Amino acid sequence: MRPEDATLSLLKELIELPGLSGYEGPVQRRMHAEWEPLSDEIRVGRIGSLYARKRGSGQEPRKSVMLAAHMDAIGMMVSELVEGFIRVAPIGGLDPRVLPGQPVIVHGRRELPGIVVQPPDHNLPDDLSRKPIPLKYLLVDVGLPDPARLVRIGDLISFAQPPIELGEDVLSGHSLDNRASLVAITECLRELGQRDHEWDVLAVATVQEEETFAGAYAAGFELKPSIAIAVDVTFARGPGLPEHKTFKFGKGPANGWGPNIHPGIYSAIEEAAKRVEIPLTREVLPVHSGTDAFPLQIAGEGIPTGLISIPLKYMHTPVEVVSIKDVQRTGRLLAEVVAGLAADFMDTLTWD
Amino acid sequence: MQELIQRLVEAFGPSGKEDQVRDIVRGEIEPYVDEISVSPLGGLHAIVNPGGGTKIMVAAHMDEIGVIISHVDGNGFARFHKIGGVFPQTLVGHRVRFEGDVTGVIGAEASVEIGDAPKLAEAFIDFGASSVAECPVRVGDLGAFTRPFVKLGNRYVAKSLDDRVGVAVAIEAAKRLRNSPNEVQFAFTTQEEVGLRGARTSAYGLDPDVGIALDVTRTGDTPKGIKMAIELGGGPAIKVRDSGSLSDPRVVDLMVRRAEAAHIPYQLEVLQAGTTDATAIQLTRAGVPVGVISIPCRYIHTPSEMVDAGDVENSVKLLVEILKAPVTLDRE
Repeated sequence: MRPEDATLSLLKELIELPGLSGYEGPVQRRMHAEWEPLSDEIRVGRIGSLYARKRGSGQEPRKSVMLAAHMDAIGMMVSELVEGFIRVAPIGGLDPRVLPGQPVIVHGRRELPGIVVQPPDHNLPDDLSRKPIPLKYLLVDVGLPDPARLVRIGDLISFAQPPIELGEDVLSGHSLDNRASLVAITECLRELGQRDHEWDVLAVATVQEEETFAGAYAAGFELKPSIAIAVDVTFARGPGLPEHKTFKFGKGPANGWGPNIHPGIYSAIEEAAKRVEIPLTREVLPVHSGTDAFPLQIAGEGIPTGLISIPLKYMHTPVEVVSIKDVQRTGRLLAEVVAGLAADFMDTLTWD
Repeated sequence: MQELIQRLVEAFGPSGKEDQVRDIVRGEIEPYVDEISVSPLGGLHAIVNPGGGTKIMVAAHMDEIGVIISHVDGNGFARFHKIGGVFPQTLVGHRVRFEGDVTGVIGAEASVEIGDAPKLAEAFIDFGASSVAECPVRVGDLGAFTRPFVKLGNRYVAKSLDDRVGVAVAIEAAKRLRNSPNEVQFAFTTQEEVGLRGARTSAYGLDPDVGIALDVTRTGDTPKGIKMAIELGGGPAIKVRDSGSLSDPRVVDLMVRRAEAAHIPYQLEVLQAGTTDATAIQLTRAGVPVGVISIPCRYIHTPSEMVDAGDVENSVKLLVEILKAPVTLDRE
């Protein structure tokens, strides 16, 4: 099997699992199975994040680097049952323009296939005629005369669009944000199994990033790593998109830069990318990065934090698109960063 | 409970000045708990069975929305900022009370069209004074809306039922509970309306295993109201999520099981705008599994909030059912 095929097959498997914010159980269990053989200790934190520690070769007390990717996905929740239809509330930042016509699974007393539908035009307020329909008017049809028998308020609704392989080493599907980064961290752990690293590595799959950032706040406080690197997705370039906010698709990850990022971690990532000749673009983040890098930076006493992002097309739609090569590059880059951390690295993180 | 609720809602307690409410709570709850203390931010911690079993923090906030004086002009009119989520349409003609039994009425500049709500900068408070010297307030003084409690049918109407009704539910639960196999940490929090501040620090200090917030939630049962499957009189709402917190599914299941076992009516709540102390508790330390018992409430953040007496009683019953037996959350 080509390495690309192994990466692809794990990613396809992961995005077919539900795991909406606050309900990450299925993906957490799958990642537990994946990371257990690649780590020395593995456990689940207090609110559901997965913590795997791979010990380094340095002398105790060893420093540790956290690699964090969120495992939760966006989706919907049943908010009301009306005349045989289901009304929904968003989980995470949904784009309602792409929802009508999407297949979904309603996680009721059993899993019910459903479709997102929009009401007929004449049933909508006048000012909405011929416009994208806001989420509060969209409905889910599960084809049952009385769904209340099987569905209750608060039940989850996940996307059911199957993964689609496109072109060469390109995958489309929902939840690639941020399962792609979980796969990158997995690739990093695999590579570190073959090479020496002085520091402990804490691979963390966080919960609730799309809603509350609770997983990263908790992980930062509980594990107290010396430094942290969040791994997430960012916007890939496309026609009509501003160049300064987007990144070439399939041309390597982005290295976050801004007040949310410690410049020393930024440099460590940049130098590692040069060593292994991975193309890397600077991503300027003037405010909150909108990723786990933010809560990690201010967890506990504060953690010097970096952010590596994989360019992704059509973010927060059921047809996100990612380059498998970028996922692999991100994994290799993470491994190189970790392996390059010397015992005295913390002494280089000065503000003067 | 009606008498207690009336005393609580008529007390003065804008965010940061919760002393009057805290005194009432302390007087009511002290005989029924084992330990009592005041937190550095002014919250009241009342602990049942300290050192025993699962630590369950039960949070209800004592503060209410209000105003703070920002300027007094030469004619004795005061300008103000809002404390918490005050709506512009609740300003003109309403009365605000300050410490020392000072009352003022809110007016608006003539540039505000009749029928429009003024912007905050276009409103002022008139204390019946005609100079700075006569004006009974000064910059920084805190005020709160004033309105007497009334009972309409089986419903209570008052200002600051958000969240004095939650405070009353906690007090009444403590009285009925007497003891618990869990360590129950009643936390009457401060400054919720300005950013969940008291709950954040109380949760850090109390370091609970599980957090339960008691607060009001919106309803979808008024004419052309919001699309929300919560109604007055349908029982306490067990929150699944709101715009700030995701209830831990294990806590939701526990609440549902205990409600069903005791034949207490309940509703499941998905709230799309608004949040509670549970948001701050959830993000504390290494994370805390949280849930919320919400009391359905119409006209939230107006001086005439409305709750159903049956919902209040059933909220107390549900809380007691949860606290009186050991609470364990199965690890996933």
